[in-house]
Amino acid sequence: MTNSTSSSSSDNSIQLVHAYMDGELDLTAALGIEEKIAADPKLAAERERIIALREAVQQNLPRDPIPPALQRRIEKTIGLRQETSHPTWRALAASVALAVLVTSSSTWLFLDAKAPQTMEDAIVAGHIRGLMAPQPADVASTERHTVKPWFNGRVVEAPHVADLTSDGFPLIGGRIDVVGSRPVPTLVYGRRKHIISLTAVPNAGRATSGPSVSVDSGYNIVHWVTNGISYWAVSDVSASDLDEFAKLFRATQS
Amino acid sequence: MGAEEDKKARFARLITPYLSHAYRLARSITSSPTDAEDIVQEACLRAFRGINGVVDTNARAWLLTIVHHTACTWLRKNRPAALISVVNVAAVEAKQAKFDEQDADTPETALIAKTNRARLEAAIGSLSLPYRETFTLREVEGLNYREIAEITGVPIGTVMSRLSRARDQLDDMIERKRL
Repeated sequence: MTNSTSSSSSDNSIQLVHAYMDGELDLTAALGIEEKIAADPKLAAERERIIALREAVQQNLPRDPIPPALQRRIEKTIGLRQETSHPTWRALAASVALAVLVTSSSTWLFLDAKAPQTMEDAIVAGHIRGLMAPQPADVASTERHTVKPWFNGRVVEAPHVADLTSDGFPLIGGRIDVVGSRPVPTLVYGRRKHIISLTAVPNAGRATSGPSVSVDSGYNIVHWVTNGISYWAVSDVSASDLDEFAKLFRATQS
Repeated sequence: MGAEEDKKARFARLITPYLSHAYRLARSITSSPTDAEDIVQEACLRAFRGINGVVDTNARAWLLTIVHHTACTWLRKNRPAALISVVNVAAVEAKQAKFDEQDADTPETALIAKTNRARLEAAIGSLSLPYRETFTLREVEGLNYREIAEITGVPIGTVMSRLSRARDQLDDMIERKRL
């Protein structure tokens, strides 16, 4: 209960803990409340309760899809016919699989064939934009319990978020990048004074593959595919640091 | 004819990806899968009629706003009792009994973590409508405060207080193992 915990912690601070855990605070306010949480056990307990409830919801309350019969009924009522409608996600996934089969080369093609960029270019562009923006992350939080749910609803699938703080790669937050006019999740990690962007592109047709290393516009890039998701780590940290980051992150995926 | 085809294409591109969000919101508001189906279908027809007025980047919040209004109108007409949210018996009882029946052995967070789907759904279902809807939009759909404020038609401050109270009440119910 808020009331029972408010004896020494002001209601305002408790509200701020909620706002912080919901990714609603800017960097300055987030740092301020992190300090307060560290100093006040009651605020820390409030945070733990929010995390526990959130985990219970995520683990036990599946995000049920619309019943297929209802979707068909709606599409029929509106007069969406298969041949005139835009491709569904399933159709897109199928066409990606087909594209991969047809090209069978390491060159990545966009879903939108008209796009002149490669996927790697688009991901590096997202990283650069992050560096130039006032903040590299749209949601600033060192809490993976805040960052992961922030992606729900913004992208088709919230990415796996690993806590690598103890390995020297603290989580800074997350943002949405746009790749081939599709919103994709990017996690932002720190390495000393540097920023690492990790973009996760759902990619159902792709087989799991080990890390490959490249350089684009002066940035080091490590790319791998796990469980049908393409991961792209981009940073100006040294190639060995980025390689270590990728190894650590991959280790949390198994 | 061309305009109609345009509308269909826009609906397929902007609205179809969010039909599941719409369905979950309607189910959360009505606590009934059957009622939710009727509401989503009606909301989609409204969305289709107004499809030319939606900004591409705001389609999800726009659709969910329509679902919110459709559901509230629908409830007022068909289930007026559901809108009466003054007294929430379960939550009140939970608070009253909290002090004489505390579970001293298990920390609260451990109890919350152990809860299962049926318990959670029962707990969320027993929240009053504004709390239930706000909590679902935040924790299940992952919307931000501004979007929730827009969809439910209240100021951001109200979203904040509804959310923290909804969490408090859920914690209370789970803590007391009343579910």
